Amino acid sequence: MSTVLILTPVIIASWPAVSAAVAGAATALGFVMHKTVQETLAGVQTEEGEQNVEVELADSEVLAQSLATSQQIVLNKGDIRLVVERDARGRCKVCASGKGHSKVELKQVAEEFTQKLTQCFIYNKVMKELKGKNFQIVNEEVTQDESIRINVRRWVD
Amino acid sequence: MAQHEVEISISKTGEVKVHVKNAKGKACLEYAKWLTHIIGKVKSQQATSEMYEPETKSRINLQQNLKAEDEAT
Repeated sequence: MSTVLILTPVIIASWPAVSAAVAGAATALGFVMHKTVQETLAGVQTEEGEQNVEVELADSEVLAQSLATSQQIVLNKGDIRLVVERDARGRCKVCASGKGHSKVELKQVAEEFTQKLTQCFIYNKVMKELKGKNFQIVNEEVTQDESIRINVRRWVD
Repeated sequence: MAQHEVEISISKTGEVKVHVKNAKGKACLEYAKWLTHIIGKVKSQQATSEMYEPETKSRINLQQNLKAEDEAT
């Protein structure tokens, strides 16, 4: 054993990289992504009694030059809708809404999604970097506590 | 040739635990720095005595052993 590091993730990425992580999180949590975001949003009006909660990814920055102002991703699962977008400060934001759900429930859904999004983003980034440095993937598994464990090795002179 | 191993565990909340194995001295620090740059900010770091061992220690010992054997024969 040499060293053990605990790291807090920071998401600084272009919109395509964030989108890939959103797609991964959506699949994992059973959300359906909409292809035509603008059509989806145009057709949606906030109904009476519908609650709305926003959760921001604290350490995130979506690079502005790669994101058109209208870009958002809309996801649905039953009567819960999530909108993932870049806020005015450049942070990634998840907005959860749905009729018949309390704000506490919606906040829980949004937070679960942001956590899964973070996990997927870090997984994608780490795997890309490891392959770029010629690491050999020895083992990859999802543990009972829903962690992703990756074992890699590399021969050096 | 030395084999460096890294175990990376990404928790449900996105927090990452990295365990660098068999890398000593500067190599170990370089892995830690590289992975921190990729992932984010260091929350905690636990180093073991192996991290402070010089990278060439085993090679030097091996060379000394070979030299001693040559002199004996």
